[in-house]
Amino acid sequence: MSAPSTAAKIANEPAPKTGARLVVEALEREGVEVVFGYPGGAIMPVYDALTNARFKHILVRHEQGAAFAADAYARVTGKVGVCMATSGPGATNLVTGIANAMMDSAPLVCITGNVASPLMGTDAFQEIDILGVTLPLVKHSWIVRDPADIPRIFAEAFEIAASGRPGPVLIDLPKDVQVGVAAAPHPPIPHHAAARRIDTAQLRRAEAAIGMAERPLLYVGGGVRIANAVEQLRAFARATRIPAVSTLQGLGAMPPESPTNLGMLGMHGTRAANEAVQACDLLIVLGARFDDRATGKLSEFAPHARVLHVDVDAAEIGKLRDADITINGDLKQALTLLSPRAPLIDAWIARCTRDKEQFAPRYDAPGEGVYAPALLKELSEQAGDRFVAACDVGQHQMWVAQHCRFASPFAHLTSGGLGAMGYGLPAGMGAKLARPDAHVVTISGDGSFIMNIQELATLKRYNIPLKIVLLDNSMLGLVRQWQDLFFDGNLSEVDLSDNPDFAAVARAFGIDAFRISKREEVSAGIARLLAAPGPCLAHVLINPKDNVWPLVPPGKSNADMIFGDQI
Amino acid sequence: MTDTLHIQIDHAEGSLQRLIGLIERRGFFITRMSVADLGSHREVRLGVRGRDAGRSADVLGRQIDRLVGVTRTTGAASTVVEEVVPCPA
Repeated sequence: MSAPSTAAKIANEPAPKTGARLVVEALEREGVEVVFGYPGGAIMPVYDALTNARFKHILVRHEQGAAFAADAYARVTGKVGVCMATSGPGATNLVTGIANAMMDSAPLVCITGNVASPLMGTDAFQEIDILGVTLPLVKHSWIVRDPADIPRIFAEAFEIAASGRPGPVLIDLPKDVQVGVAAAPHPPIPHHAAARRIDTAQLRRAEAAIGMAERPLLYVGGGVRIANAVEQLRAFARATRIPAVSTLQGLGAMPPESPTNLGMLGMHGTRAANEAVQACDLLIVLGARFDDRATGKLSEFAPHARVLHVDVDAAEIGKLRDADITINGDLKQALTLLSPRAPLIDAWIARCTRDKEQFAPRYDAPGEGVYAPALLKELSEQAGDRFVAACDVGQHQMWVAQHCRFASPFAHLTSGGLGAMGYGLPAGMGAKLARPDAHVVTISGDGSFIMNIQELATLKRYNIPLKIVLLDNSMLGLVRQWQDLFFDGNLSEVDLSDNPDFAAVARAFGIDAFRISKREEVSAGIARLLAAPGPCLAHVLINPKDNVWPLVPPGKSNADMIFGDQI
Repeated sequence: MTDTLHIQIDHAEGSLQRLIGLIERRGFFITRMSVADLGSHREVRLGVRGRDAGRSADVLGRQIDRLVGVTRTTGAASTVVEEVVPCPA
C-alpha cells in the first residue's frame, strides 16, 4: 500500500491540531519564507508536519550553519531569520550562532526540539537544558508546555526578536507538545511595543550642541542599518556636512564616495578616522556602543569631545562612556526630527578630507604575489552596487572592512561582536537565498573556511550560486601577526601549511573552483568568479607574512596606532 | 556600596534564573535576596554590589529593564522608573 500524500495526511488530521502542525501554521502566519535546519529525534514531529509547508526548508549540514545562515538572511532582509534543530547536540550546535546574533543584534527565532516533558530533568538521551544554556544569549526564551500556547508564543517570539534592539529568541518544544493536540489553541495576541517617544527637549539640546560645534563628528554604528535609517543618515550628513567615521557594523551607511566618509575607526581603522575622533569636540554617536575594538583605550578615546548618544537601547547609553546629551529612541525618527543649524566647520572639513587623502591606502605593493587588499578592492568594484560580502573572521575580515566598497550597510555581513570563525560560508548562503539578484561573495581565510566547510554540500544541493574568495596564507594570520608583534615572534600553533587543496575539495563537493596565485591573474579571476552561473570558489594564495595595517596595539589609545610596513 | 533593587517578575520558566544570571554576568555580587509569590507575579528584592568601581547600578537597572516579563519598580538609587520595557501579554 502506498503512503498517503501529505495533503491527504493533513486532511486526515484530527480537527484539534497537533503542536507540530501549529508550529508550521505559526511560521506561515509570520510570513516566513525560509527555515534553515537539521532534523533529529526530538524535532521529528515538526519535520513530519513540514513537508507541505508554504515556506522552504534548507537542510544544512551542521546546525551552526543553520543559525549563521538565518542570521545573515535576517541582516540582509531586515526580516526575522528562522533556524531549527533537534535536542541535545543539535541544540548546542546552534549556540555559537545564537551568541553571534545576540552580539550583533540580528533578529532570529531558534526552534529546538526537546525530549518529552516527563523525561526533562532526568538526563535522558539527547536531553540538554537548552533554555538554561542560552539564557545569557537571547532576548527571551520559552519552553512550550501546552500545544495550545504555540500560536501565542510564536507571535510573541517574532515580535520580541524584531522589536526595539533586535536579537535572537529561542522556543524549546518538548516532543510531547509537538505530538499533543490542542483542542482550542490560544490565538496570537496582537502586541506592539509602544515606540519610545523622542524627548523633544533633548532634541533641542542636541541641535544647539551641533550648531555650536567646531569639530563635530558622526560615529556611525550598526544601529543605522538595523533602524533602516540609511537615507536619514545620509540626508543629515549632507545637510550638516559633518564628517563621519563608522564602526565595523556601520560600514556602508555613509555614501562610499563621500569625501567626508572617513572610513572605519578603531583597532584596524583608518588613520583619518582615528585622528578625527581624537580631535573632535562633539561626537555624535548613532547606533553604536563604544565597543573596545572601536575605542581602544577608553579613557583616551575622543578626549576633547562632548558626547551626543542616540540609541534605541537605553542600556547602551552611559554603559561605557557617559553621554552629555542622550536621545533614547528610534534612530530613524531621531535623525528625521533632528534639524540643527549647519555648523560652521569649513576648516574642520578641510582637515578631515586632507587627512583622508593623505593617508589613503596604496595598492602598489612590491612583488609578484597577490596583494589581498588590492584584490578585495577590485572585487568590490567589479561587483559594483550589487556587491554583498559575507566575511569570516581574521585578517581578511579587516582587509574587507578597510578596502571594499559598500554601497549600503546591508552589503557587509560580518561577525563583529562575537568574531566567530566559520560565519562566512553559511552567512553567504543565507544572504544569497535572500538576495538572489546580488553578487554575494563569501570572503574567507583558510582557518575560518574549514570550520564550516561542510556547507559546500548545501550549496551544491540547492545550487545556490554563492561566490567564494578563499584567501589562503597557510596560517592563522591574525594570531600569527599578534604573536609576531606582541609575543616576541613566538609562533605557537598557527601553522596551517598542511591545508588541503581547497579547490580540489570544492570540486569534490561538485563546486566549480580555480586557483589564483599571481597578481596578473587577479582581474580575470574575479571576472570569472562573478560570471560563474553556479557556486564557485576562487582559491587565492597570499603571502603568509602579510599583515593588517594600521593597528592599534591592544590596551593602547587609538592615537597610538602603528603602521608597520604599510605601503 | 550596596544598591537595592525591587523587581517584579512573571512566573515564566527561567525568569528568576534569567534575572540573577544577568546581574552576576554584568559584574555584580548579589548580597541579599528575597522572593515572594504574589499570585499574578513574584516580587524580588535584591541587594547588589559591583565587583569593581567601573560597574554602574544605573546601567544594570536599564539592562534589567530589557528583560521580558520583568518590571523594575524601584531602581538602584530608589528612584521610580517611569518607563519600563513593555511586557507582552
